[in-house]
Amino acid sequence: MQQSIVVTGLGLVTSIGIGREAFWHNLLMGRSGIGPVQAFDTSAYRGGMQGAEVKAFRAADYLVRLDPAGMGRASQFATAAARLAIADAHLDVAAVDPERAGVSMGTTSGEPNEIERFDDHVVAATVDQIGPEFIASYPCHVIPARVAGEVGFAGVNMTIPTACAAGNYAIAYACDVLRTGRADVMLAGGADAFSRITYTGFARLGAIAPDICRPFDRNRKGMIPGEGAAVLVLEPLAQALARGARIYAEVAGYGLSCDAHHITAAHPEGHGAARAMEKALAHCGLQPDQVSYISAHGTGTPTNDQRETVAVKRVFKEASYRIPISSIKSMLGHTMGAASAIEAAACALAIFSNCIPPTMHLEEPDPECDLDYVPNAAREHTVHIAMNNAYAFGGNNSSVILKKCEG
Amino acid sequence: MERRVVITGIGVISPLGDSSVALHTALCEGRSSLQPITLFNTDGLVCKQAHALTAFTPETYLGKNPRALDRTSQLVTAAATLALDHSGWSLEMRREHEVGLVLGTMFCSVHTIAEFDRRGLTLGPNYVSPMDFANTVINAAAGQAAIWHDLRGANSTIAGGITSGLQALAYATELIRSGQATALLAGGAEELCFESFCGFDRAGLLCGAHYDGTEEFPIPFDARRNGFTLGEGAALLMLEDAALATARGAHVIAEITGHGSAYDLAHGMASQQAIHAIARAMRLALQDAQMDPSDIACLSASANGSVLADRHEAQAIATVFQEGAHDLPVTAVKSMLGETLGASGALQTVALLAAMRDDVLPGIRRLEQVEEDFPLHRAGPCNQHVHLRNGLISSVGVDGNCCALVIAQENSGQ
Repeated sequence: MQQSIVVTGLGLVTSIGIGREAFWHNLLMGRSGIGPVQAFDTSAYRGGMQGAEVKAFRAADYLVRLDPAGMGRASQFATAAARLAIADAHLDVAAVDPERAGVSMGTTSGEPNEIERFDDHVVAATVDQIGPEFIASYPCHVIPARVAGEVGFAGVNMTIPTACAAGNYAIAYACDVLRTGRADVMLAGGADAFSRITYTGFARLGAIAPDICRPFDRNRKGMIPGEGAAVLVLEPLAQALARGARIYAEVAGYGLSCDAHHITAAHPEGHGAARAMEKALAHCGLQPDQVSYISAHGTGTPTNDQRETVAVKRVFKEASYRIPISSIKSMLGHTMGAASAIEAAACALAIFSNCIPPTMHLEEPDPECDLDYVPNAAREHTVHIAMNNAYAFGGNNSSVILKKCEG
Repeated sequence: MERRVVITGIGVISPLGDSSVALHTALCEGRSSLQPITLFNTDGLVCKQAHALTAFTPETYLGKNPRALDRTSQLVTAAATLALDHSGWSLEMRREHEVGLVLGTMFCSVHTIAEFDRRGLTLGPNYVSPMDFANTVINAAAGQAAIWHDLRGANSTIAGGITSGLQALAYATELIRSGQATALLAGGAEELCFESFCGFDRAGLLCGAHYDGTEEFPIPFDARRNGFTLGEGAALLMLEDAALATARGAHVIAEITGHGSAYDLAHGMASQQAIHAIARAMRLALQDAQMDPSDIACLSASANGSVLADRHEAQAIATVFQEGAHDLPVTAVKSMLGETLGASGALQTVALLAAMRDDVLPGIRRLEQVEEDFPLHRAGPCNQHVHLRNGLISSVGVDGNCCALVIAQENSGQ
């Protein structure tokens, strides 16, 4: 009998709030974290110059062991989220065997600001000023390494940089580590920092909306780059019960697939996305009509939302019209590798509180996106089973299923 | 009953050959691929040499000019061609039965990322190519190889510095054991480029000229070692659920029987902690394989000439194998291939598979003075002719990551 893996702590660093309570409150209120970009000068860019940045964040307010000065912004988000998650879980870190406690993190870009600094030196012909800190702080695996260093976890340390689906991959991996008994507790999630490289890339793809993010709306004009982190405390159900932990939800299973179609665009008929959903349902032994909520990838680009809708219909058939679907990217923008981790946290909270966060700014329905997207207002709804979908460049598709814990 | 994971194909792109046979022959001849760097300007850098793939032509493996693919993606796609051909997974079979890809890489292409950024800086953000952006994500190579070869199964990219390749093999092993996948290409890749080279050079980790005046070269475990050299390459193994391999009548090369990983919170800066973490990864791998240290026939070390990491690994071998360490045949292929970062663990595995086939373990190039307190009596420049029914592969990062893998000939009783 495989043991159940449950979510007992949530740590969030987002543009709409830091910490579980602020995040969830503002998410249900439909508050947006989107505004003019502050991280760098965007005057040379064509278009809207909007972003969803984490403002008024001081990592030192959360960290206990590490000095944030020695780490990049994504690592600062991740370590702060880890501390918040542990506090939220009331996990006594001193009582944990550090060698049986691990970290699994997803990211799109790692610490892009570090390579940007490197490039500034190359362009300015000051390469001689590049020091040892570049190799110590740039590679993406520094993110879980810093988290481990901050909380003292010496077990499995994993980085899965599968772009915009990375958080889901990291959570799925952490569950497997726990199920196979290779750890007693895992911190899992995703982190990404606002970056000029990412912003430039999406701007050149013509993917950035000029003003706001309107997933599934007929007039949707694109995504909004964002940043943030989410870390989940995952542990076996028996251990959570034994220590009297609050259990938000169980991570029931997952499915992964690859489009093998196009490096940036999703398959027009949603083949890969559908296979990830079907695999996840099969992994959990569930039928499609048992799903009570789908957290959409829902970036707000014309193609993503249409193709995602096609994929959902392919799997859920007529039931797809009865299952509420929402995209919280309408408020948080696209936080890259952090997105699916933040959305997994939202799924856990939706299950725990029987309330579904809305898709904001959905004013004019699109005939091609004709499902129930929970427009503009949160909805009370009993959520037994939530499916968290995330798709990425590289055709990397992932579906993670969370369910109400009946332990 | 847990599913067993077997290796049914090998694809390798290295400066010492593009087959496991060619690589093994070169390693046994003690050939080094180290040469002066021509790929970029080394003015102002301490190290001037690297193990570059100077003769790599992607068209040889891909049939047509892969213009949309950057160098890392080309290496991965080429290695995938070789591994798929070797294992007999034709395109028709892959359309019937999903094959996935798990790629370990430290940077994927930091060069592509940096070039994209620098073009934006110098020309303006409206003058960079959106298709170049697609290749800046760290999972780009795995995604491109999947498109090229129609790999629609699970597709994951694993980053863990030097340990990436071995961690990818361990991750893939777990996906097959848990039933999430039945056939996966898994391994690692890394390209040589200015950005990573400059980074390691500035961190003081690359070797300079030796104090006897001879030019720079890495000597794992030697008292004279003063750093490592960087290399590049790609290695992918075809991993399958043993039941599937049997059902399709595949030739089984070997089995992955165990893996283990650990993190050193002092990231290599405190010797006792570092040794403990490396030993812990090895012990976890042995435990997973249900083996005792005395069952292990040989060890492929991560040692690359690093002053500290080589010491820690040698002491960890002593910790795990006790007095048995004296009799344990040890090789360190980074003496000839250099440190290929995310590719290294997978390249070590390919080299060891070839060694197991021939029962010859390559010597460690130029290793003449094993540091006095290292218990490695069977590490030296000469090849060792021994029955290699299995082997332990170790991968040690400069940043605290440690990983170990056990491979064994099928039905070897372990």
